[in-house]
Amino acid sequence: MFELSSLKRIILGNEAIALASLSAGVGVATGYPGTPSTEIIETLSKYKIYVEWSVNEKVAFETAYGAAINGAYALTAMKHVGLNVASDPLMSSSYTGVEGALVIVSADDPSMWSSQNEQDNRYYGLHALIPVIEPYDPQSAHDLTIEAFKLSSKVKHPVILRTTTRIGHVRGPVELKPPSKPVLGKLIKDPKKYVLVPENARRNRLEQIRRWERIKNEIENLNEFIDNGSRDLIIASGISFAYVIDAIKESNVKANILRISTPVPIPKNLILKAVNEAERVLIVEEGEPIVEIQVKDILYDEGIRVELHGKDLISRIGEMTLDKIYYAFSKFFNLDIISDYLELPEEIPPRPPALCPGCPHRSSFIDLKKAIVMASFKPEETFISGDIGCYTLGLLPPFDAQDSSTDMGSSIGIANGVYRATGKIPIAVIGDSTFFHSGISALANAVYNKTPILVLILDNRATAMTGQQPSPSKNIDIGEVAKGLGVKYVKYIDPFDTTSSIKTLSEALRWVDSNKEPAVVIAKRACALLVTDVIKEDELPKASVNLDKCTGCSICYDYFTCPAIIPRSDKKAEIDVYTCIGCGACIPICPFKAISLVGKKPDKWDELWLG
Amino acid sequence: MARVNILIAGVGGQGIITAGKIIAEAGSYSNTKVLIAETHGLAQRGGGVNIHVRIGDVNSPLIPFGKADYLVGLEAIEVLRNLNYASRNTEIIINNYIIRPVLPKVKLLSLNEILGKLRGLKVHVIDANSIALKAGNPKAVNAAILGFLYSLGAFRGLISEDSFIKALKHESNIIAFKLGMSVKSMLKVF
Repeated sequence: MFELSSLKRIILGNEAIALASLSAGVGVATGYPGTPSTEIIETLSKYKIYVEWSVNEKVAFETAYGAAINGAYALTAMKHVGLNVASDPLMSSSYTGVEGALVIVSADDPSMWSSQNEQDNRYYGLHALIPVIEPYDPQSAHDLTIEAFKLSSKVKHPVILRTTTRIGHVRGPVELKPPSKPVLGKLIKDPKKYVLVPENARRNRLEQIRRWERIKNEIENLNEFIDNGSRDLIIASGISFAYVIDAIKESNVKANILRISTPVPIPKNLILKAVNEAERVLIVEEGEPIVEIQVKDILYDEGIRVELHGKDLISRIGEMTLDKIYYAFSKFFNLDIISDYLELPEEIPPRPPALCPGCPHRSSFIDLKKAIVMASFKPEETFISGDIGCYTLGLLPPFDAQDSSTDMGSSIGIANGVYRATGKIPIAVIGDSTFFHSGISALANAVYNKTPILVLILDNRATAMTGQQPSPSKNIDIGEVAKGLGVKYVKYIDPFDTTSSIKTLSEALRWVDSNKEPAVVIAKRACALLVTDVIKEDELPKASVNLDKCTGCSICYDYFTCPAIIPRSDKKAEIDVYTCIGCGACIPICPFKAISLVGKKPDKWDELWLG
Repeated sequence: MARVNILIAGVGGQGIITAGKIIAEAGSYSNTKVLIAETHGLAQRGGGVNIHVRIGDVNSPLIPFGKADYLVGLEAIEVLRNLNYASRNTEIIINNYIIRPVLPKVKLLSLNEILGKLRGLKVHVIDANSIALKAGNPKAVNAAILGFLYSLGAFRGLISEDSFIKALKHESNIIAFKLGMSVKSMLKVF
């Protein structure tokens, strides 16, 4: 618990949102981990309210929604693409409204620092008729989260709090408001409202539009007009406001500023007031022209013609930067802004993210590639459909073992289609958390439609990429799930045991080929970070290279690519003892048996890796 | 009020986020606003990462191209990857430490090759890994570099030495910071 005596903290925007929701009285909080949203639920889980990591965003949404229609103050948090998964209940929630409060945090990722796209989820507000609140720094993230709960409980309607990477993952000073008593519900039975059969839904539709008209008035005060006595007006949405303030100071221009914190719906009265004083308008927003299209719509209706710029001067690609605003200012204010920076030198070695030392996925990919050859499948004709997780890094050399990875759970669904189009047996590679998220229904589809695919489930006991959150695989055995769905070939492998893993995987491929139905192989070994979280560094064994046996063949560092194995100048291998965790995965990789482990096996070692 | 932009680059796992936390916390002890834009998630897994540190009169988190007052590399190659944020006026601080990217048959650059690409710029080379070892904590590389940055005057009028000491907390970090402050004599200005 944070102390009431000292409420100024240096925290991430995501932590500010979590602590603000406690202040607003949140009673139920749910989410599925995803960068840049994860720390919201992680922070809340330290407090005494009901918090869960749900199996996917749709279930997270519905859990919060179910609580909110029974009077609770609920929050659900997910990354932007997670809201796609939850978009079905999102649309319904706008029809029914809620009894308590429902705040949906959508953490968008412009510039795609950790995502497959940079979709602008403010569109969901326009699509679903749900107001969107957008902060501009960690402090406003805190304050506006409280406003989001207030608005939701006042108008009995869900509210989207839309953040971005540079809100949630920016650390700065935040003045916190103290926590309040969590608001839980009491049972409410109102089937005429919550059973969306056509008769009820049509009635709800009228109510939805009535609430929407009310929301348009309620949001005006969340925005701010700063009148600097200029005939130039800058309308800035979300984080763009912070950049505009800094850019104005730097470039010494004068303009009135309209800060938009509700990009959906925009504050009509404030817009008209600000535009009436302006001769020229510049709309600065990240991503899509959400504010711009609404401003143009209002101005057309009011018969106002004014010189207006927006996406013609600010790119819709990538996150907001001061450089983008300087460019827009140079055109809008006719300034000569000289951008003086150094060019990037040529030939900088690339440094993509890499699988960790001890990562079981590295061994799984090596085993799989050998098994493909052993099963007499042609590697160049074997499509490996990948999925979303650390193992997406299997696309990199030397593995080159992901031919697609498009959305959560897609590996199995895509594999279904690959077989139907080509008649070649594909391999779907999916993690345990992703399997429970949305792979399970695609596997049911493959059984039901008798689609011959091999599904390799990499069960590392965690949702690893976002920080080792727990995964359903800890409590539910994936092999039993597969058998329950009707998969006839289900086997487990330990990816570090390469000989038997290769044998099992190649047998599975041949089984799929002769039986023409799906098979499942589960590679079971824990995420190395789960192990090193428990074992102290000085208790870890270390790998060691016998330099008399090492021939400098380079297989361990060029083919296996563990970050702890480093080539010496004579091409022989050596171990970086600070990086090595003593997992032993490299031992069977060396054809000359030059690698061995030094040191004692720590207590519970095998249990941690294989339990 | 003064404003300082520091871009700190390195490899995931080197303690870059911790360095940012220390600066932000020290800033709060000196009543100075600090904003840190961090790199999380997949990007951290041994890949190149950076943080944007903006101190003083600032509202927005990212440093514009060419506007870093200091460009710091906890790993030497990562300085090159972030050179866009520097101009000829930027002071560049390079830790004499190179980490091999985890890729097959990757061609590494030596420190001399890296320095060769930085000709005509203000470059300081510091052996922060040795300082950290001397301080008794191989992970205190970030604290050593912060000490060196402090001695260059990066935080002058914004964050005091006492504030850093308070934020560094652990004895070995404080020793590394102080050793970093005093290495002026052994630095090479390129």
